[in-house]
Amino acid sequence: MNKYVRSVIAGVLGATMIAGVATADDVQLYHDKGFWSEQLQAVGDASAEATGVRIVENPYATAEQYKAFIQASIASGDAPQMFTWWTGQTFTELTQTGKIAKLNDVWADMVASGEYAESAADLFTVDGDIYAVPLLLARWVMLYNKPLFAELGIEEPTTWDELMAAAETVKAAGHTPFNATVHEGWRGFIWFQELMLRTDPEAYLGLHNGTVAYDSEPVRRAFEMWVDMYDKGYFTDPRSNEEIEDFAGGSAAMYLMGEWVVGSLAASGLETSDLGAFIVPNVDPDAPSAVIVEGGPVVISAAAKDNPDVMAALKFFSSVDGANAWAEASGNYMGNLKADAPNPIIAKINSDMTEAGTATYNRWWEATPPDLQGEFVAELNRFMLDPTMDTAEDVMARMQALNAEYWADQ
Amino acid sequence: MNGREHSDAELLKRIDLKAVERRDRRRQGRNFLVALAFMSPALLLVGVLLLVPVVYNIYLGFTRWRKFSGIDEFAGVENYARMLSNPFFGEALFNTAIWVVASIVFPILIGLAMALLFRGVRFENTFKNIIFIPRILAPTAVGVIWYYVYAPDGLLNRGLSVFSGDPVDIGWLYDSATVTPAIIATFVWQTVGLVMVLVLLGLSAIPKDPLEAAKIDGASKVQVFQHIVLPLLLPTLVMVTILSVLAGFTVFDLLWVMGISYPGQRSLSLTVYMYFEAFQKGAWAYGSAVAVVIGLVVLCVTWIQAVLQQRVDKMTR
Repeated sequence: MNKYVRSVIAGVLGATMIAGVATADDVQLYHDKGFWSEQLQAVGDASAEATGVRIVENPYATAEQYKAFIQASIASGDAPQMFTWWTGQTFTELTQTGKIAKLNDVWADMVASGEYAESAADLFTVDGDIYAVPLLLARWVMLYNKPLFAELGIEEPTTWDELMAAAETVKAAGHTPFNATVHEGWRGFIWFQELMLRTDPEAYLGLHNGTVAYDSEPVRRAFEMWVDMYDKGYFTDPRSNEEIEDFAGGSAAMYLMGEWVVGSLAASGLETSDLGAFIVPNVDPDAPSAVIVEGGPVVISAAAKDNPDVMAALKFFSSVDGANAWAEASGNYMGNLKADAPNPIIAKINSDMTEAGTATYNRWWEATPPDLQGEFVAELNRFMLDPTMDTAEDVMARMQALNAEYWADQ
Repeated sequence: MNGREHSDAELLKRIDLKAVERRDRRRQGRNFLVALAFMSPALLLVGVLLLVPVVYNIYLGFTRWRKFSGIDEFAGVENYARMLSNPFFGEALFNTAIWVVASIVFPILIGLAMALLFRGVRFENTFKNIIFIPRILAPTAVGVIWYYVYAPDGLLNRGLSVFSGDPVDIGWLYDSATVTPAIIATFVWQTVGLVMVLVLLGLSAIPKDPLEAAKIDGASKVQVFQHIVLPLLLPTLVMVTILSVLAGFTVFDLLWVMGISYPGQRSLSLTVYMYFEAFQKGAWAYGSAVAVVIGLVVLCVTWIQAVLQQRVDKMTR
């Protein structure tokens, strides 16, 4: 009996040592996307098979807790090996710590292989240097209910007037054209950014560097259009607690959202085959095609650049195999041109963008200074709950007061 | 000196009082070390998990720590000055004051009324258990449940529609006039069970003699309550008030969950405001300063209540 016990103990110790050897090659990936934990681990497991280096995902429950962890880690000089972040000003701030590795050489290979367009690095470039590979490249497009469009005889709109005509047809048939709520407090910017981009892309960019005021004429024009659309009854009740489920259940004909929502809609019962998508046309039909893009970066610490395991994991992540593993697991697209499109919606938008030579604009949330994001989106939500020009004027005034104060200190 | 005094002095001399005192001191010292050894785990836990973070937080409030840097830059009272000029801080402070008043008045009044109502009735324990159930639920779960009760097409609006005969479409958690009262109502719903049980315990501790004497003297029920029950219940009520105010002052979960879609969520209370500043904006030093203010106000309120408690104790002795 003792012999058996000794054998078991020896076996356990042996297995522990083997496991210890195996974990020596693990690369830790920290992130705040707990809803994609399994999916990220699937990529990590694929990496282990392809390169011998396993990526182990470490999720944080909320973005706030995650930011606190990363900021404290970097402040104490111990940045994690590999972690996700956000684009825009918060990305610039991260790179300015000097603790993040430059990945110009990695990108040179990624572009030379024909897997990525050179412009795909724009979201991750600060002062001429590239600091991240993509986790996500989601275009914000208009999704629509195909059976309802077919029933009402509506074609995909190619101009703003056609889009408004489609909305009018939907409304006349007793349906609501657009699904839009303030659910969870962050959605207020979606239609604001779209209307700004469609009416004045230069002003949209100017909002983010302080050169255009939030109470200027381009902003007022966007609000006037927004109020007009609300007056016509084009939007769903902004107070709904279940925006995605609402659209999947047929609350509206169209839904302006990032491509990543396709998977959630399918999970809520709306088959991808019943879903269409198009890039929202500009108000000025002669203006060049443009689309809002949300980029999710993966960075590595400057210290990890010398670690061959981390570099192998990073290169696998952005490779065709990595992109396919990620697409298969999560339905997300990371911009790899040689990888399979995760779903027909993304394939269609890829094709439309190539055909129209569509320019990309960073999403409002990432492009806006982090110090202003929260207050501004709260103001935009306030407008959606009371969509009148009086509220719009008040919202614009309050946003501009904060905006002016912020930029005066820069 | 007589013979007896002489023999006492001799006895004391033989006992050697100083040696006895030394032995006592040594024994006390040993006892103290033994007590310290027993207390050390608790002292260590309190020190490391409570006192050190509190002191460190006070230090952070005087730095310029924002996001990735400034943790070692001394800022003086800069963060406290910024607080005074920030309109959101003022709104949060005002809403917190509403919470403090509401958390004193409503749980106590309703808890006391329920305790008096259910005391001695048939199925008293069943009623007590039912009313106590919300207290054992996690505040986050309570928040999620009530978030849906208050939804535009939720239980409350539907119920009101049935009663009024007209469709009711109130955005309880979206309107500045209704959001705080709605969340306070949820807080009261959750805390009133505990208040009721504590008041019932206080009522059962009241001696029967003065009550019977008052009845024999012909006092009415109201007079008995006003002049005998209430004064004897005061220590319990003061203790319940302290618990209630601290719970109301530091409430976060309910505001976080139920106020998620309300545009002014950051100003719903000082705790939520602090969370937004520190965790959303990365203004760690400023958030720490707000936490210090919250701590100071709680300390003041608790101190006032402790003084009241002492006075009440003296009165009732």
